[in-house]
Amino acid sequence: MSLEIKGAILGLIAGLGVLGATFGLSPVFQPKKVLETKREQFDPPVSLTTNAALTGEANRGIWLFDHNCTHCHGEDARGDEGPSLYNLSKSDARLRTIIKGGIKGEMPSFVKKFDDGDIQALIAYLRTLKD
Amino acid sequence: MDNSLWVKMHGGTTHFPIALVMASALFDLAGSLVPDNEGKSRCVGLRAAGYYTLILAAIGAFGAVISGLVISRWQLWGRGNLAHHHTFLWPAFGLLTSLAVWRLVVGNHASNRAFRAYLGAVLSTACLMGAAGYWGGELLLNN
Repeated sequence: MSLEIKGAILGLIAGLGVLGATFGLSPVFQPKKVLETKREQFDPPVSLTTNAALTGEANRGIWLFDHNCTHCHGEDARGDEGPSLYNLSKSDARLRTIIKGGIKGEMPSFVKKFDDGDIQALIAYLRTLKD
Repeated sequence: MDNSLWVKMHGGTTHFPIALVMASALFDLAGSLVPDNEGKSRCVGLRAAGYYTLILAAIGAFGAVISGLVISRWQLWGRGNLAHHHTFLWPAFGLLTSLAVWRLVVGNHASNRAFRAYLGAVLSTACLMGAAGYWGGELLLNN
């Protein structure tokens, strides 16, 4: 067997091996909370299963939330690194200010990312998050 | 360890494999394009630079991947920008490891045909790394 073929086989084994180890070991280290969130995806909360009942604005808010907020607030919006967004008592104006300006040291500003319509859509979605 | 330290560590370590794999691809590409002088081989020097930068990139990738997994709480995919980041990252990580092992085994004994195939693979890896880095930056700026 030529050296090149031997190298290719070993390389393939190594590449697949590191990916296999990463994907295999990841659930071992994953915090319990993340695993529970994954399980809940098969049985999502009521507010997420009734998308058809939401306004178009709130549905657009779900999309914006999925692509921008889940990393900190969790995929189910029940909090992860950031707080849970269920049952918010803040006014729309206050939420708009927070989304636009962020919170120093805690949450980034989204003023360049979202226009007023986007923020309104996000708020419409957040208002649907009630237990 | 404080999560913010892991974030900083990821920010630091992640740029090494991105830059090094791109440098390695460029060195190797230059090595295969630049004509050799009589008695003084530029090709060998450039390929040696490509070799060492690739090995360092592969070693650095492990630090970047581990710190990244810690800050994403060991999520292998996620959603939104994190999912985009991982879509490019995992193939790049696997390819980079494979290519580094291939070069470690083959050394300077690759045929021109095999080296051209390697060059295509390392350029693809550099593109995947760049795309993973782009979405990583989007995560940092927008999340």
